[in-house]
Amino acid sequence: MFTKKKSVWLFLMPGGLGLMLFYIVPFIGGIWYSLTDGSYRNAFVGLKNYIDIWQNPMYLLGLKNTMLLSLICAPLVWVLSFAIASLLNRLRPQGAFFRNSVLLPYLMPSSAMLLIWLVAFDYGGVVNRLWVALGFGRVMWLQGAALRAPIILLFVWKNLGFAVIIFLAALQAIPEPLYDFARLEGAGFFRQTFGITLPMIVPTAFLVIILEWINAFKIFKEVYFIGGAYPDEAVYTLQNYMNNMYGKLNYQNVTTAAYSFALIVFMLFGALFLTQRQLLKRLT
Amino acid sequence: MKRQASKIEYRPGGSSKWLTRGLLMGLATLMLIPVIVTFLYSFFSPEEIKAFMQTRGSFDADKWMEVKLSPMLFSLTQYYEILIRDTSILRMFVNSAFYTVMILLGQAAVIPMMAYGLSRFRFRGRDAIFFVIIMLMLLPFQVTMVPNVLTLRSIGLLNTVWAVILPMWFAPFYIFLIRQFMLGLPNELLEAAQVDGAGTFRCYWHIVLPVCRPIIGAAVALSFADCWNLVEQPMTYLSQKMELQPLSVMFNQLAASSSGIEFAGAAIYMLPALFIYLYFLKDILAGVQLTELK
Repeated sequence: MFTKKKSVWLFLMPGGLGLMLFYIVPFIGGIWYSLTDGSYRNAFVGLKNYIDIWQNPMYLLGLKNTMLLSLICAPLVWVLSFAIASLLNRLRPQGAFFRNSVLLPYLMPSSAMLLIWLVAFDYGGVVNRLWVALGFGRVMWLQGAALRAPIILLFVWKNLGFAVIIFLAALQAIPEPLYDFARLEGAGFFRQTFGITLPMIVPTAFLVIILEWINAFKIFKEVYFIGGAYPDEAVYTLQNYMNNMYGKLNYQNVTTAAYSFALIVFMLFGALFLTQRQLLKRLT
Repeated sequence: MKRQASKIEYRPGGSSKWLTRGLLMGLATLMLIPVIVTFLYSFFSPEEIKAFMQTRGSFDADKWMEVKLSPMLFSLTQYYEILIRDTSILRMFVNSAFYTVMILLGQAAVIPMMAYGLSRFRFRGRDAIFFVIIMLMLLPFQVTMVPNVLTLRSIGLLNTVWAVILPMWFAPFYIFLIRQFMLGLPNELLEAAQVDGAGTFRCYWHIVLPVCRPIIGAAVALSFADCWNLVEQPMTYLSQKMELQPLSVMFNQLAASSSGIEFAGAAIYMLPALFIYLYFLKDILAGVQLTELK
């Protein structure tokens, strides 16, 4: 560890300048933006923009759908990836093929995947064939609220692998003697899972849910691919609203919408962080 | 019974291992099928694909789309069409490649250096800077696009290629990722070099960077995956420049105006991603495993 080295600023300068220029300074400057009316006089209007946006039905619709989709996607990836990582961990040191094939989609552009998705989820497509074989009726997957299913599946398909890899690394880092000792004491599979595995991976689990939620909050690609640029109301996300306002050059509205959302995101992650701290305290 | 087995054996196993294997096999198949089928369909003749794609969107309860797995005639016409006859898809592919290369080059110059400064130095304000980076990392694109647009507009870069490239150079997630790895490097490594008289820059270039090979490889691969799938940035920052759009934005239109060559387009778009995946697979696994990610 270097101390009292002035050269550190040389290392930080390019990145720091860029972050200042593109993120931090305009972010703070934008607060002023969101408090003015955007006319040629640019009069100060206080919180009027914020009050307006919370009464704007399209913003609320976008917010609702983004929240809904992310509340399904992030926990789904979280739980599935933990389950898969546990399965992979049982096969260790084999199972490399399974692990690698789960990771592959993470590197694949989901944009190129949309063709297959459209074919598979068509009214006469493979998914409906399976659906009928399971005894359900045919569903119009590419319309209305049912659109959420292919969108969520595309998100899960792409993002599952990375979460699995993180969980797997955490599971492998748990020292084996802990389990041996537990087995000697007569602890079964469930006791081992709840007594050793879960407490040991709480920090990792927290990291994964945060990363997946960050990913899920910006969900838009999948909607754009499957639902198009002007999607059905059921999957109209916040990004659609932003693009719409941005296209109309309504910068005040875009800024206000963004900052309102930032507030929600920070509150959610703050709450999550406090929960994790409490949980760790209780477990140790 | 499971309990007894686990008492005797080193780890729980036996017959349940086959169940595990079966489950994972099913999962792996699900993950790979879309990729494989896309490649498969790229060898259909354009006419066959066109006819096939036109059977979509029929809501006749008695009609099904065919489940096609092998072409009537193995054909390279789709590839011929996009690579030689009409190069409009190829041009968008080149756009994608240009953005990706430029973004990765900039990130390589900026991000490891910043991570080094934030992990191997002790100075006042370090934790505050890192805290700001974490906060930025949490913000989704809908939020960060606003400060980005404000700056890009005032320096006149909106609707130029730089609007997509520049903000990505400072992606907070990769600073976080590489910094966490560098934090875990043993102190002795750098102390020995310091005794020999190496300065901070020599340490960075000759010791830290080579040792960080796995995490940097992982970051390159992950960042590549992001860049190759760019949608939001070009859509907003380049909304008035259709000719600058990367291929990832255009698949939508390709699917809508099905001309029978879209699967070859998808296949050549996946190829570079496949190479990156194969080349960096070991790095991703090692990078994630060796990083203190909490």
